[in-house]
Amino acid sequence: MLVLIRIDDRLIHAQVVIGWYEECRPDRIILADDKVAGNKWEKELYISAVSSDIKVSVLSLKETANRINQGVYDRDRVILLLKGPEQALRLYENGVDFDELNIGGMHYMEGRKKVLNELYINDSEKLIFRELVKNGVILETRALPGDEKVIMNSKIV
Amino acid sequence: MSNTSNRIAGIVVTHGRLAAELIVTTVGILGEVEDLYSVCSEDYGDSLIVEKIKGIMEKYKEEDVVLFVDYSGGSCFLNCARATVGIKGVRVISGVNLPILLDFVTKRNVMNYKEMTNHLIKRGRDSINGTL
Repeated sequence: MLVLIRIDDRLIHAQVVIGWYEECRPDRIILADDKVAGNKWEKELYISAVSSDIKVSVLSLKETANRINQGVYDRDRVILLLKGPEQALRLYENGVDFDELNIGGMHYMEGRKKVLNELYINDSEKLIFRELVKNGVILETRALPGDEKVIMNSKIV
Repeated sequence: MSNTSNRIAGIVVTHGRLAAELIVTTVGILGEVEDLYSVCSEDYGDSLIVEKIKGIMEKYKEEDVVLFVDYSGGSCFLNCARATVGIKGVRVISGVNLPILLDFVTKRNVMNYKEMTNHLIKRGRDSINGTL
């Protein structure tokens, strides 16, 4: 069961592991990213950042979609982490159905403009978000569960 | 406080603005401090933070550097690991607090790198106490 699907360019970090723990009570964190899954050093670095009572899977997007669609994680409470909207759309197109997407952290990088605190997006990311919105996905921006839930859909159309 | 005889630099990397404030407070207690830097994660992406750390380390190619982070396993810790990959002998000390920084500034001239970093880890742990 996916208890949280989150875009966060820091992927696994304190806000996720500590900040969302009480709300989500995850058994597993899936970090779905082709680059990280293909880099042994980065993969181990992220795994080392999580305490041993939460299982961590670092997978490519395709493998993530396959496993979720096969029901491999149906009995786990899963936080699914994605680096950006591109990864979210690819997962969606690979059959992972979700109605709501948490936008937790897209930090400043060259070309990105500020939309909200800790939320900077560039033009191509905006277009990808639009695709998700067209498919009926609700984009909710919250760094932490106690923050005000701001729906971003109208801001990117 | 000058740092001439045994030039060991420190970089404090934290969430929010904590690193800058820790250094401001250190300076408030000891006076001007050399070779001590802050990198605050604020709203910056990981790659920019890694670049900032690398940029400071570049100035100290011939010297030792200690990195301090606020939270073991957090993004600052991971970014320090990324910035120092392949560089031998650099230690990243997590759980940075004021006693650690005060001892770093006042003792780095009288200890070698290994002694000092071991001492700082112990100092940080020993400084955490509760009232009876």
